[in-house]
Amino acid sequence: MEYPEDSALLSRLLSGEESAYRELVATYQGSMRAVALAIVGSRNSDEVVQDAWLAVVNSLKGFQGRSSLKTWLLTITANTAKTRLKHNRREVLMDDLPGPHGTIGDDRFADDGHWLMAPHEWHQDTPEAMLLQNELRECLEKTLGSLSNMQSSVLVLRERQGLELEEICNLLDISLSNVRVLLHRARLKMFATLEHFEETGQC
Amino acid sequence: MLSCKELVANSSDYLDNRLSLSRGLEVRLHLTLCVNCRRFIRQMKISQAVYRKMQLEKAEDLDGLAQKLADAQRSSD
Repeated sequence: MEYPEDSALLSRLLSGEESAYRELVATYQGSMRAVALAIVGSRNSDEVVQDAWLAVVNSLKGFQGRSSLKTWLLTITANTAKTRLKHNRREVLMDDLPGPHGTIGDDRFADDGHWLMAPHEWHQDTPEAMLLQNELRECLEKTLGSLSNMQSSVLVLRERQGLELEEICNLLDISLSNVRVLLHRARLKMFATLEHFEETGQC
Repeated sequence: MLSCKELVANSSDYLDNRLSLSRGLEVRLHLTLCVNCRRFIRQMKISQAVYRKMQLEKAEDLDGLAQKLADAQRSSD
């Protein structure tokens, strides 16, 4: 097998070991949901994820290890979602709704491209210290909630699951330039919220 | 030379290592000279780290799901 880190988990999964399934679910549920959300939208994503899990269990014995477990799981999820969609052709959703604290937009720069309002030094600058503040956490959740399905899915797959941009393109059937734009917009909105909170102390 | 505005526009590609060789050099040169953009990139990285550490999964019954899947696997033998 080309992915030795998967093989120990795989044999535990095949023997039906419950702790192995807990590990699998905890590691991949979020990304599977992100894939489903991007393709079928929020109304059907839970069902797609459930169907995908059952398909995973049913085909586990035939898994050859030619790809990583991660790629295999997310591909099954994408295929399950695309089957669900078969009849309605999907347009790439590039909606960009304004985030609660905006973004780093043109208004931050002078005509010559220099900063008009440059970022200030932040008081807290370790993620651990920042996340201890409940209000900030809630505030960031609000911003995440304001992202389009595509933006939030791309963010999960890249930042949390660490997928390469090309893998994201293939799973979601969108172009590389779309992935880059979606990711950039999402990151700038998160940045704008953190910056706003650091400067005002409130959401 | 790259402006600050252009640097910000290229910042995600920079963080993902997706810039062409020449654009990558322009970005690094700009960063050696511009304290504001250095701070911006540093804060973008902090913001990525914050996002990675956030607990996103709601109080969902993941253990219940795991048990269901393990049962399904065992009963398929």
